[in-house]
Amino acid sequence: MTPPKIKIESLDFYYNNHQILSNINETIPENAITSIIGPSGAGKSTFLSLFNRLWETTPGARVEGRVLARFHHSFMDINTPKFSVTQLRRAVGMVFQMPNPLPMSIFNNVAFPLKLAGIKEKEAVQNRVTAAIKACGLWPEVKDRLEKKATTLSGGQQQRLCMARALVMEPEILLLDEPTSSLDPRSGAMIEELMVDLKQRCTLIMVSHQPDQVEKIADHIIDFTPGPES
Amino acid sequence: MSALVCCLLVLLILGFMIVTGLPLFGQSQAMDLLTGAWSPRNNLYGIAPMILGTLWISLLSVTISFPMSLGCAAYISVLGGHKKATVMKGCVQMMTGIPTIIYGFVGVFLLVPLIRETAGRGSGMCILSASLVLAVLIAPTMILFFIQSFDRVPRSWLDAVDALGGSRVQKLVYVVLPACVKGIVTGTVLSFGRALGDTLVALMIAGNAVQTPNSLLDSARTLTSHIALVSAADFESMEFKSIFLCGAVLYLITAVVILGARLIEKRGNHE
Repeated sequence: MTPPKIKIESLDFYYNNHQILSNINETIPENAITSIIGPSGAGKSTFLSLFNRLWETTPGARVEGRVLARFHHSFMDINTPKFSVTQLRRAVGMVFQMPNPLPMSIFNNVAFPLKLAGIKEKEAVQNRVTAAIKACGLWPEVKDRLEKKATTLSGGQQQRLCMARALVMEPEILLLDEPTSSLDPRSGAMIEELMVDLKQRCTLIMVSHQPDQVEKIADHIIDFTPGPES
Repeated sequence: MSALVCCLLVLLILGFMIVTGLPLFGQSQAMDLLTGAWSPRNNLYGIAPMILGTLWISLLSVTISFPMSLGCAAYISVLGGHKKATVMKGCVQMMTGIPTIIYGFVGVFLLVPLIRETAGRGSGMCILSASLVLAVLIAPTMILFFIQSFDRVPRSWLDAVDALGGSRVQKLVYVVLPACVKGIVTGTVLSFGRALGDTLVALMIAGNAVQTPNSLLDSARTLTSHIALVSAADFESMEFKSIFLCGAVLYLITAVVILGARLIEKRGNHE
């Protein structure tokens, strides 16, 4: 197995007084697809939100324990206040269950993270957006209509566009929350292929409800199914 | 059926005001009434100064209130922390319940002296004072409307910006505001309608002089305060009858404004 990218140590997660996750200890390997499985309501999506601290946007949410991620050769606890959440989210991309393109053109959707990061040079933006769209295999389908609204794309295309948007910042980690569950099988298969390709450049963590998908592409599995004792 | 009754009622009120104001048209030309001066002793019943006073005060109050309300709504919906935003929203909701007369009192006893001393001339009862108080009065309407519009922005868009490392300000500027342009315009126009129709603040604070205002420190009379002031006159007098024309004009301006707002809102919903 490849060296660890993330280590989770005695982690508890609370929503107000309700405990969602209890004493989690896990290691996530680098340049691999880690799949999180388990029944609905087991806290899989919450677990995923630990890695980009998206849980912080939910009022009443609280974390105890450590999430150590290796950026630039050394492990750092991403939950310490001095770790900038903006920097973290630029290094950790995310793709949601439902494709969520923003109400703007195809090009501007993918260029949006660059705009947030203050990258303005036209040529650099153009190159990076093109590269990201190509990396997601979307280029032949959209190259002639980059100025069209992103909502004119099909569901599968929108999801690949969202992947391109997440990849344009060249993240080291990519989180995917059931990325194919809202798509038809053909679009789903394209996303799966894409994820396998992406292993070379990032660490992927995916929540999945589809056992065949997990069997096919996952290198490492974290199972949230409650044990017989609970 | 009830919708029909409502429609009829609205039209009846307009008709009532026009019919009761008709005798005025016999005395002077219609245009003179709308554009002329007010001088009952000389048989002049023009309401132009009141129309101008109304427009000055309501437009200025909306201009003052708009940035304040937009900032406040943005803080509550996007920029502020959950707890602070909740407290602030509660305060705004409470403001809608404060009787207008209280705003009037605050204006008369706190703001008017301040304006008088700062300006160094006049009584302080002027367009500026009235507009400032009216701005506070209409702010909750605007703020709550803006919040409603901001809260309709799909959660998934906000999640996208959050997950991409966008700050709250970036979220506001790049996603929320562009998505809410129509809501913002509608809220502003509706508040303008509210400012047009308010009587008490202008009556207490604007000074009520019948003149064509030239500066913000001039006293002015609005259509609504004119109606309130003149309604004490003899029922048979022409002065009294002129207030129905005021009512009709006010009615028309408000109707146009509200219809405009609804039209914008409707278009927004279809997109």
